[in-house]
Amino acid sequence: MIRETVIKVENLNLYYGKKQALNNISIEMYKHNVTAFIGPSGCGKSTFLRVLNRMNDLIDGVKVDGKVIIENNDIYSPDIDVVELRKKVGMIFQKSNPFPKSIYENVAYGPRIMGIKDKNKLDEIVESKLKQAAIWDEVKDDLQKSGLSLSGGQQQRLCIARTLATEPEVILMDEPASALDPISTAKIEELIHELKREYSIIIVTHNMQQAARVSDFTAFFYLGTLIEYDKTKKIFTNPTVKQTEDYVTGRFG
Amino acid sequence: MKRHFEEQLDRLRVKIIKMCSLVDEQLEVAIKALLENNQELAQTVIERDKQVDKYDLKIDKICQKLFALNQPVAADLRLIMSSLNINTNLERIGDLAVNLCENFLHIKEKPAFIDDTRIPEMILLSKDMVKKSFDAFINGDAKTAEDVIKSDDLLDNMNRENHAILIDIMKQSPDNIEHAVGLLVISRLLERAGDHATNIAEDVYFIYQASNIRHRYEKLIMGENGDTHDENSDVSEDTEE
Repeated sequence: MIRETVIKVENLNLYYGKKQALNNISIEMYKHNVTAFIGPSGCGKSTFLRVLNRMNDLIDGVKVDGKVIIENNDIYSPDIDVVELRKKVGMIFQKSNPFPKSIYENVAYGPRIMGIKDKNKLDEIVESKLKQAAIWDEVKDDLQKSGLSLSGGQQQRLCIARTLATEPEVILMDEPASALDPISTAKIEELIHELKREYSIIIVTHNMQQAARVSDFTAFFYLGTLIEYDKTKKIFTNPTVKQTEDYVTGRFG
Repeated sequence: MKRHFEEQLDRLRVKIIKMCSLVDEQLEVAIKALLENNQELAQTVIERDKQVDKYDLKIDKICQKLFALNQPVAADLRLIMSSLNINTNLERIGDLAVNLCENFLHIKEKPAFIDDTRIPEMILLSKDMVKKSFDAFINGDAKTAEDVIKSDDLLDNMNRENHAILIDIMKQSPDNIEHAVGLLVISRLLERAGDHATNIAEDVYFIYQASNIRHRYEKLIMGENGDTHDENSDVSEDTEE
């Protein structure tokens, strides 16, 4: 099977001031696949995820060298429009963060900023994205209700709908289900399976079973280094590196 | 400090090792009963089979619990998966020991023409294969497991040769028929014991080499195509999923 690369990272280093947090990471992630980043706390997996849409730019003293190539452009080159980049590479956080606005406005927000004013067009986008995020049936009767009035799991799916509304190529998810109950978690995982048909997904998770369930590829990070990257099936049945084996079997440290 | 899960895995290993030792003894005593014409000894093997069955149930239960509560992966997953198979094969070897004894009790005495067959050699080889497959598991030794797998063809050939030899013996005199049929069954049982030892060896290989060589041993290990690993078949496995 021929895989199409969606993000290619070459020799990436990241420093918080003088402290190096990521060491020479090179990795290619593929279109319409789910890639999971696993590793113990502080291993750099969330930092690396944030590298992919330049969220680290917001932190003082962060220095990045190396290349992150998305659609033939290095996203760290000076002429890159970061707003455009974040439209293309959306992000879902651990804690759901809907705007304190109606459900409708949460989803319509991005398209409005992009210049879509036509009410019918916006209605169409809101409906289709809420459907894609598997929350439409639960909210369709009252789209004017505040996004904050929804349950945690619903809020998270609303945030996914909001991200989808800007038509991203890639969706980054940072522990998207770690604050949710098992039923809501299962819905998010099911959603990830559905979404990968149209998007490429990169997910950071502490829950190894979740990584095993949802992802096609898994990258194991330790102390800021990418230790092993392979098909998820391989990582969880027969990893090549002893450190990976120790981590996935819970014998670490 | 050892984690609870690792203690449970150790417990599983210990149970299997104990079952190996019991099954080994069952086979040993069954063969001894036949070779020494000792019907009492044969009876003890039949009676002791209940203990083998108890281990079978116990090991099944431990594996089920480990799967349900721990979501094992990698080497742990291979160990528990293979333990289930090994358990089944151990139980079958136990049954074969019983069948050997029942067959011997049926024919009542070892016929003198046993020495004209390949059965004495089969006894040595099948016992050796069974013992080695157990050793391979206990010592985590994939090399010994390979030795067992390689021996299986030899045992199969001996069984086939016995057919011709015993048919000849039957032709010589109708008086030989009952005993010769008994030896045919014994030959088949020894060959089956070798098959179960081979299955165990394949599982040991899987645990320690993470490669499934069942049904394709010759291709993968003996280098039928000069390859030690058949990458293409791995790929076709993936695409089937």
